[in-house]
Amino acid sequence: MNPDIQTNAPKKRTQWWFLLHSWLAMPIWLFLFFVCLTGTIATVSQEIVWLFDSSVRANPPDKVGAMLTFDEVIKVVEREAPGAYVEQITRPVKSQFALTAEISYPDSTSENVFINPYTGEIQGRAATGFNFRQFVRAIHGWLLIPFNTGFTRYSLGWYMVSILGIPMLLSLITGLVVYKKFWRGFLRPRLRFNRGARVFWGDFHRLAGIWSIPFIFIISVTAIWFMIQGLLFEVGVPFNGASQAPVFVARDEVPVSNQGRPPLISPDQAIAQVNQHYENVETQRVDLPSTAFGHYRILGRSQAFPLVHESFLVNPYTGSIDQAMRVMDQPGLMLTRLSMRALHTGDFVGLSLKLVYFFFGVLLTMMVFSGMRIWMTRTFKSTKAAIRQKTTRAIQPGGSV
Amino acid sequence: MSSNSATKKSHSRWFRWRFHLTGLLILIPFSLIPFYIELMSVFGGANGLGERTIGEKQVGPWRITLAEQFERGPKLDGPAGYMKTFNAALCQQCAEQVKAVYMRLGKPRSLRTAGVIGFGSPYHMSFSMPVPENTSVDADVWLTLEGWDGSLHQVQWPLRQASPATIEFLQQQQEL
Repeated sequence: MNPDIQTNAPKKRTQWWFLLHSWLAMPIWLFLFFVCLTGTIATVSQEIVWLFDSSVRANPPDKVGAMLTFDEVIKVVEREAPGAYVEQITRPVKSQFALTAEISYPDSTSENVFINPYTGEIQGRAATGFNFRQFVRAIHGWLLIPFNTGFTRYSLGWYMVSILGIPMLLSLITGLVVYKKFWRGFLRPRLRFNRGARVFWGDFHRLAGIWSIPFIFIISVTAIWFMIQGLLFEVGVPFNGASQAPVFVARDEVPVSNQGRPPLISPDQAIAQVNQHYENVETQRVDLPSTAFGHYRILGRSQAFPLVHESFLVNPYTGSIDQAMRVMDQPGLMLTRLSMRALHTGDFVGLSLKLVYFFFGVLLTMMVFSGMRIWMTRTFKSTKAAIRQKTTRAIQPGGSV
Repeated sequence: MSSNSATKKSHSRWFRWRFHLTGLLILIPFSLIPFYIELMSVFGGANGLGERTIGEKQVGPWRITLAEQFERGPKLDGPAGYMKTFNAALCQQCAEQVKAVYMRLGKPRSLRTAGVIGFGSPYHMSFSMPVPENTSVDADVWLTLEGWDGSLHQVQWPLRQASPATIEFLQQQQEL
């Protein structure tokens, strides 16, 4: 490469853009590479667990009947673990995953229990707390640095990671500026394998780059949002708007009973209440009341706007719906927060979209690597050339000037 | 001359390698893995009630076990002030008899001021209790248990016993 680039000031504006593009990620490439790699794994972490652990699979029998209802899940737990409390049931719809019930035992430990959605068989158990899926998310999202350490309310790692959205977005913009007529790359894709590593990585960097324009844009913008979200939280901006005050069942609505806990309506009855009053709610998760004044919390992905979950609080004594958060009931900030997260993780359509995110995640990770390779070979070569030139000048007496 | 080219060489090596230095940041999550696993097991209840069990007491007809979630002083939670997390478990026989458990520092004057309510399964209720910075180090932690039949029973632990770390925190705050 031309060593004069280093000595002569770039004459054209594009050269400045090019320098900016080269310098944006280079000083941080390895860290960025790590974050992209862990993020890529995080997209499919649930599926990775599925591959290695048959107990979290739906495992449909030969004759697939109806799926267990939420009430039937509770019956299974009552039968298999008498005295245990069910805290939460997740019931994936049209999915390859088993039902999950989070249950609490009299010895104060708790477990996630994986239940076959068709046969009701308990296929496996795992202690709550550490799990692979959450671990990958934590290592990608905040580098495992604890939250609320006194210095910041969010984890410090949260900011170290999310700030990378800025160089990533600038890399995308500057990359498109310096790649003249980049749209031609769509029509005439070029990936030369036979011209050495430098050419291959260069072709790859450009080709992957143009095909990843929407993906890089989504990932970087949502990452920048995560940073903003953290900062808003630090200064105490509420995300739930008016509904931030928790809703409780009024004391006079909670029955007095001489025989211990009074009978509650069942989760299926609570869901029936919701379906009776609201259309198009497909319940995917039920949180059981966490105090005597608590509600059933019914959660389902919105059918109209799948980026967002809708939630309903159902009074467990009367069956009345005390709070409904449909898409349009969410305050703007909350809606932004939920949508941004879904867009970042790609977890809002199902396996197909997750695989698309995974594919582009691999591309993006490799773009960080290829960018570094290009930069290194070019800079290394031009530096070596510059040194050689200077040394020869110095060795030859009178050679200079 | 040769020294000159040697500095050039080391310069170029530094030139190349300094761009990999941010890789050192990757050491942060890897060194934190054991702490993360420990933290998750406390949060998930895999270890039982909490990092340190304080004890078990009879409260009227019921028995309750109290634990500190972490052996640490209260944490500043934004505008809410300093909060300290305790966990409590009811015995299996009485879990269905108790409607709610409340916790506060100092004796409550009525049920309305009984303090924060315990959230979660009766075997692992969680209390996030505010700790004002001027709390006396001789204060007691009061638990109020309300039965489904309306009956009330109370029990208390000296804060000194319940959380030595909180006493240490208060002493530090009050020295200032």
